[in-house]
Amino acid sequence: MNNDPRRDIISATESVCPTCLQRLSAVREKDGEDVYLVKKCPDHGEFDTIIWRGPLRFTSWNRPKMPSRPLQTFTKTKKGCPFDCGLCPEHGQHTCTALIEITARCNLRCKVCFADAGDHAAADPSLEKIAFYYDRLLAASGPCNIQLSGGEPTVRDDLADIIRLGRDKGFSFIQLNSNGIRLAEDKGYAKSLKAAGLSSVFLQFDGINDDVHLSLRGRALAAIKERAIVNCGFAGLGVVLVPTIVPGVNTGEIGSIINYAARFSPTVRGVHFQPVCYFGRYPQQPHDSTRITLPEILMHLEEQTGGEITANLFSPPSCEHALCSFHANFLVQDNYTLKGITSWQQICCSAAGQNREIPSAIEGREKSVSFTARQWSTPSQCDCATSRVQENEDELDYFLRRAKTHTFSISGMAFQDAWNLDLERLHGCCIHVVSPEGKIIPFCAYNLTSSRGRGLYRTSGG
Amino acid sequence: MSNFSFISDTEWRCGCCNKELQPSKVNVEYMGSVFNVELMACPACGFVLVPEKLALGKMLEVEQLLEDK
Repeated sequence: MNNDPRRDIISATESVCPTCLQRLSAVREKDGEDVYLVKKCPDHGEFDTIIWRGPLRFTSWNRPKMPSRPLQTFTKTKKGCPFDCGLCPEHGQHTCTALIEITARCNLRCKVCFADAGDHAAADPSLEKIAFYYDRLLAASGPCNIQLSGGEPTVRDDLADIIRLGRDKGFSFIQLNSNGIRLAEDKGYAKSLKAAGLSSVFLQFDGINDDVHLSLRGRALAAIKERAIVNCGFAGLGVVLVPTIVPGVNTGEIGSIINYAARFSPTVRGVHFQPVCYFGRYPQQPHDSTRITLPEILMHLEEQTGGEITANLFSPPSCEHALCSFHANFLVQDNYTLKGITSWQQICCSAAGQNREIPSAIEGREKSVSFTARQWSTPSQCDCATSRVQENEDELDYFLRRAKTHTFSISGMAFQDAWNLDLERLHGCCIHVVSPEGKIIPFCAYNLTSSRGRGLYRTSGG
Repeated sequence: MSNFSFISDTEWRCGCCNKELQPSKVNVEYMGSVFNVELMACPACGFVLVPEKLALGKMLEVEQLLEDK
């Protein structure tokens, strides 16, 4: 599409026009180590957006799956992706994690917010409505991991009832997406959520310094976040730290966040990075310098941990599309350093890996559901005080003892907006939101807005 | 470190060298992780005996813990 002689077309996909949201054909173009998504709307012109930067080879980052259809669909395929989400019969992956937005209200006013929370918040869905959401998920995908989201879910006083309801319906892993303010304020609150059946807290955590929190969230939150972690630890709730990474704001905090998180192992179960993406109204296309891609986060991890964490430890996902995420697993050692315990190169390049048939998407989904639930929950036994290899113990014993409590995951997921939306990725999406009507909609489609702020699915005010 | 579990008299001999197995420090590598353990091994060629109890016990447990998604 581009006439720049430095550009080579790698592959073709589809996307949408950021202005009018009509579906467009698109190509992935390579320029040196960088890759761009390029598309042209007959009405609104050409759009060119960075999707990959850095030495990790774009074409090496793949993990194909055979599409696996939803158990039950709530829409028909009429206009084609991304206009029929519900899920439609063409969708290629089951729900791994479902987000249920239990409120549109929030106690922060963040610059970066998927949910457009706060202003003109719609009424909270009733318990009966939430029961209906749970039932729809069971019908569409069977039991999956649940993330209660918002807004800020802790503004609801019946949160424990919502958790209990989910557990009674048969969802064994329920996670709370929270800014941590209420968890920090009241030690007993975390305990009450744990008693209701909560497994884990997905804690927004953009950095260890208040200037980062002030910049992104408008409030000094460092001490609050730490109190929330400690209270979750007392309550037996696992915590995942979730930084939204914004160029020029907290790219320099990536290594510090990992070091900080490891010191709170085993309460902190891992760090999950989310590169910033642009939902809402953006009359001008966000400049490429305001984006950070997944391989850049891996490079920062390597640089900022002095090579303790290397990019070659990380794998593309078994569940969602390869370009959506990375992950690796570690053991937190006695001195709080991290030792990688998986290596993608060894898995994919082994004889067994190379000779395997392409797995079904549902196989990856099953692995991901159980792995995530296990890793992001608090370990059932904690032998936290004991240290290095002890008397009458060999290294296998030590590893087994330590790994029962001190495994640690580092992952990252790149959401898509109107500029970098790749419909091949959307088609394989496993992170779904339950809409107010009870439709199951891929996260990036649900939050997609045109540059004029028009939502494809989400209606204003939640 | 003490390795009390897997050092034991055994009737097994090395098939290639026909030597009696002796306790030996070995590195067991699995998916990039290396563990130092003591096993019975051939003193000539280093071929190790992994007893069933180890293979189906601790090694299986380690394998399950290293299992990735």
